[in-house]
Amino acid sequence: MDLKIKRKSTRTAHSSNLLENYPHDLQMYKVPPIENIRLHEFETLALERLTLLRCLATATTLKGLRIYSNEWREFVLNELRSQGLKYYANLCDISGFGTSEADLQARRKDHIGHFILRLAYCRTEELRRWFVARELELFKLRFMTMKSEAVVEFFKINKLCYTNISEEEKNEIIGCLRESTMHQKVDSLKFYKVKFYEVLDLVKSRKVYIQGGYAYIPDKDFISVLSAQYRIHLKQSLVVACHHLGEIEQDERLVGLLKGLHQSYSGDDYSDTKVVVPIETLDSLSVKSFPLCMRQLHEQLRLSHHLKHGGRLQYGLFLKGIGVTLEDSLRFWRDEFTKIMDLDKFEKQYAYNIRYNYGKEGSKKNYSPFNCLKIINNNVGPGDCHGCPYRHCDPSNLKNRLKGYGIEHQALHDIVDMAKRGHFQIACSKYFDAAHNTELGLGINHPNQYFEESQKILKGENKVEIKKETKQTTIKKEQSKQMEDIDFDEISEWNE
Amino acid sequence: MVAHYDENLLSDMLPVYYTRLFPQNIFCRWLACGNSPQPLSNRELSFTLADDVYIRYLSISNQKEFQALLQKKCPYKLDIGAVYNNKPSISRHDAVVLARELVFDIDLTDYDEVRTCCQEAKVCDKCWKFMVIACEIIHTSLKDDFGFQNILWVFSGRRGIHCWVSDFEARTLDSPGRGAIADYLCLIIGGDNQNKKVHLGVDNLHSSIRRSIGIIDKYFDEVMLDQEFIGTPERLQKLLKMIPDETLRDIVENNLTKMPQSSLERWKSFVNIYDTYLRENGNAIRKIKYLLEEIKIQYCYPRLDVNVTKGFNHLLKSPFSIHPKTGKVSVVFKPNNARNMKLDEIPTIYTLLDDSSPDNVQHQNNMRSAVKIFQEVVFSLEKAEAMRRRNDANTTLEF
Ligand code: SF4
Ligand SMILES: [Zn+2]
Repeated sequence: MDLKIKRKSTRTAHSSNLLENYPHDLQMYKVPPIENIRLHEFETLALERLTLLRCLATATTLKGLRIYSNEWREFVLNELRSQGLKYYANLCDISGFGTSEADLQARRKDHIGHFILRLAYCRTEELRRWFVARELELFKLRFMTMKSEAVVEFFKINKLCYTNISEEEKNEIIGCLRESTMHQKVDSLKFYKVKFYEVLDLVKSRKVYIQGGYAYIPDKDFISVLSAQYRIHLKQSLVVACHHLGEIEQDERLVGLLKGLHQSYSGDDYSDTKVVVPIETLDSLSVKSFPLCMRQLHEQLRLSHHLKHGGRLQYGLFLKGIGVTLEDSLRFWRDEFTKIMDLDKFEKQYAYNIRYNYGKEGSKKNYSPFNCLKIINNNVGPGDCHGCPYRHCDPSNLKNRLKGYGIEHQALHDIVDMAKRGHFQIACSKYFDAAHNTELGLGINHPNQYFEESQKILKGENKVEIKKETKQTTIKKEQSKQMEDIDFDEISEWNE
Repeated sequence: MVAHYDENLLSDMLPVYYTRLFPQNIFCRWLACGNSPQPLSNRELSFTLADDVYIRYLSISNQKEFQALLQKKCPYKLDIGAVYNNKPSISRHDAVVLARELVFDIDLTDYDEVRTCCQEAKVCDKCWKFMVIACEIIHTSLKDDFGFQNILWVFSGRRGIHCWVSDFEARTLDSPGRGAIADYLCLIIGGDNQNKKVHLGVDNLHSSIRRSIGIIDKYFDEVMLDQEFIGTPERLQKLLKMIPDETLRDIVENNLTKMPQSSLERWKSFVNIYDTYLRENGNAIRKIKYLLEEIKIQYCYPRLDVNVTKGFNHLLKSPFSIHPKTGKVSVVFKPNNARNMKLDEIPTIYTLLDDSSPDNVQHQNNMRSAVKIFQEVVFSLEKAEAMRRRNDANTTLEF
């Protein structure tokens, strides 16, 4: 990438140039920008792009809107407008190939913004994954809203040519196409034949008819082909960008800026903790400060003295993240497992995995605990009890469990309702509030974050916002401020 | 049949078995084919020895080396891994997986929540039928949907089956691709906290699901008779928990508890009740449009260990190795013959090497035909590989 930063702009690109470079609202970002740009603009464009991407993330995870649904789109567009990013809102609303000066300028900013963020997000695997996921959402959002002339134009510009299958071929399989294609009026659509691995997302969700290794897709589904290609291209570019970071970072001003950018998002990955949590406290901690997913695993382990692989991994890494040392961890699992097997078997079959989690075996990587997204999207099969209970429990099971934990009626109803509607992390946040008697409405995105927030409250680091301000609790609350180490169990007793 | 196998005999018997009966030549050819463009020596093998010592990153360059290695180490368990860019024993840190068969692992323990004849490590010919169904469904999909040709089915040695797809496209498929195929084939989702694990929604059924249900239907009554899925009050409860519509659930409960215990009869009246209910309550359809299909799938559809399929370097038990616990040979079988297989007709190392065993003759025969099937698969794979290489050469010439 050849982005030169100047304190003062030396030239501005001419519109004719712009038109040539930016013929269409939707770009595949194949060629990096080569113009000179001022530091101030660099910074602005970076932040604006970041706001855009975050806005997409918020819509899905925090607001719990179904991705690409109308409400999701509305939310994103409104949010962009209210943040003063009208040009992005316009680019996302109806992508086209207009030639007005405003169009061209918007595309230029879009282009440059994208490339700056590549630099900020190429550093680690985790960052790259986040960035690629958001950029793909953006790409799909924009592709979906395009009018058909714009689609045709887009294909032309990007030299994408595919030929549709003949009427005869289509008629032979029309029944299957009707059954297996997720679109209305299948009979009137043109179909194209691509290798199944070009449309993995459709294959995965069984939204396409496949036969003999080929997938039959109507033009609307080309977004799958394109985004698969775009994903590969983007991933590779990030690796390349990472190799060139050194050159770019000779400019000190940029170093700070680029690093700052990603810090403002990534937060903690909980792979290194300073505190040490003794395993003797796990039983009580699991009741007080574990999110449901971990409490469930803990209880299951105590009950059956065994967890299947997925559970050991999810729970083991979480424990590492809250500060259980390797030695303690080994002891903890050993004590349970050896209740149903001999020590020898444990050492041979399981100890390796525990050391592995701590980066002491195999690739020696220091694994980070799973975040909610990963847990929610994990495979949970027969015999498993890991995963996120809001997603992986039947509503009736969830209800019983919450009841057993003493969650009161209204809260219980709210939590189950959120879970049913697919808003797992919001359900989790509601559970947090119910369990701690707060109304924080935290955005939960990591079980270890849940744990830390809970500990903060219990240790009195956060001001405790007691929900029902009955007279009794107000008095007690004042007392609580003076107490160093306030115990949650006591708070809940005061409320009763 | 003789039932006392002595694990201690294994260390004496295995060297003989490996030399005399293990199809070393075909085995090496199978692996070598799957390895192209890399040599056989880049393929990882792993051994588990008598005292549970586990050795990874072994490799061989030809049959001679293989035989020597087998004699030297006498592995109790023999697993096959991926093909790396280098010999697996060197430069571990920058090893890159270049190819690996697309594999599937189906284990009867994952059926414990539905099968009633056995649990855990036990298997019988009744629950083997689950494997028959699994094999037919997956084989059909791999062939018809994904267009794969070179598919090897292997008995895992105790309570399940493995499938190895050696087509070039399958071997070089990346992990998202493997993941997508696994997800495409996986219909039963959910852990111990979910009673109903199949959700087909209200849209049209995908052609592949419809086809799978067709396959299940061929076996369904038989399995229902074997397993008596709803023959006791507890089992009936399990069925009821799969019915999301409360009114329907109550009607079913009332009717079925009064009936005699035959599961098949009960199932038939359940189907009638369901049909009537749906006719009379048009709007119930949203929740229970495919209820019957969903339940059939939950009872009978293959339960894949998706992690094995998704992962690139999961080690999987080799065909024709011996299961150390049962002494059974991991025989290769034809998918359309799975139905006729009987568990005690599967050769064991003990019967094969003991002339006086009453099963000796039959097991020898079965072993021979298993090797023959293996040969056929390898021959056709070699042919396909030769053709692919010729085509590749032609296309390069054109430019
Ligand atoms: S939302 Fe996250 S923290 Fe909460 S239960 Fe689910 S996975 Fe655990
Ligand atoms: Zn059985």
